[in-house]
Amino acid sequence: VPCVSGGLPKPTNITFLSINMKNTLQWNPPEGLQGVAVTYTVQYFIYGQKKWLNKSECRNINRTYCDLSAETSDYEHQYYAKVKATWGMNCSKWTETRRFYPFLETQIGPPEVALTTDEKSISIVLTAPEKWKKNPEDSSVSMQQIYSNLKYNVSIYNTKSNRTWSQCVANHTLVLSWLEPDTLYCVVVESIVPGPPRLAQPSEKQCVRTLKDQTSALKVK
Amino acid sequence: DLRRCLISTDVHTIEESFRGIKKAIQAKDIFQNVTILSPSETLHSIKPSDVCCVTKNLLAFYMDRVFKDHLEPNPQILRKISSIANSFLSMQKTLQQCQKQRLCHCGQEATNATRIIHDNYDQLEVRSAAIKSLGELDIFLAWIDKHHHGTSA
Repeated sequence: VPCVSGGLPKPTNITFLSINMKNTLQWNPPEGLQGVAVTYTVQYFIYGQKKWLNKSECRNINRTYCDLSAETSDYEHQYYAKVKATWGMNCSKWTETRRFYPFLETQIGPPEVALTTDEKSISIVLTAPEKWKKNPEDSSVSMQQIYSNLKYNVSIYNTKSNRTWSQCVANHTLVLSWLEPDTLYCVVVESIVPGPPRLAQPSEKQCVRTLKDQTSALKVK
Repeated sequence: DLRRCLISTDVHTIEESFRGIKKAIQAKDIFQNVTILSPSETLHSIKPSDVCCVTKNLLAFYMDRVFKDHLEPNPQILRKISSIANSFLSMQKTLQQCQKQRLCHCGQEATNATRIIHDNYDQLEVRSAAIKSLGELDIFLAWIDKHHHGTSA
């Protein structure tokens, strides 16, 4: 039996949250219906195609998000999505996203960061994040392959002098030289793509101590 | 570097201008089931040697048709569109130099892609076609950024 359309207020704040092309549709419950056993149904649309498509895993769901990564995996296409709420015999009208363009809108996650240290230097090796993939056994695509101009903003903090400085690098290895021996340094890295601003996701802070100065150790002997 | 004719204009300033009006412009485009640029049939299959020609043709498409056909009541949006048009004008001048140097060759794919875009435009009522083309500027700008990236003319 079809529900009474418009009998409920629409869900609100419908947007795509996109990180490394993992594209999740999310929304808020209709005004005044928080905590009520409302269910939601999602559809999506590929810009330029003919009709709205169902997402079967997001039909009559209780949660307020729906993973549309597989349906929007061609990042050079553009998409719309919409959701409606149902409660008993009543349902809301659809509420729709604006046009979503994964290629320009996805956030680029942080790289993997590997640190090795010397007396007065720290070597940093960065590995670009991977694009979302449907199955773990699928072959990986690096975000570097999608954004050839991907860069990294490396922030370094000297815990002894309380000093922080940053460097923007394009390649995957970086050696910090002229550091103080026997000092704890902490490193945080963000991925950057020149162009429209995107929310940045910093890496976990990693700290490493430079080695003691061997020359002064020898003099002591 | 005239071996490959590339635009040095900072596309990101144009993208910035467009981002300010994108939501309003795309919201006026009510025909979601139709595209003008149809990137998967046109832009995505362009070879590096045809990039200059397609860029030149699409700049002309926007300058000679889209910007002329679009009637914009909102002064802020109009100012942004004018800024984009001025940037396109300077890009056109750059490519004209390349054309003189015979570096802006048009292969069959480039010609086909241009024709598809004009045909798509002609399918719609002119105001709807203009607003839809404006709404697809992010596709064109991302394509320019990707293909004119790195070296400058």
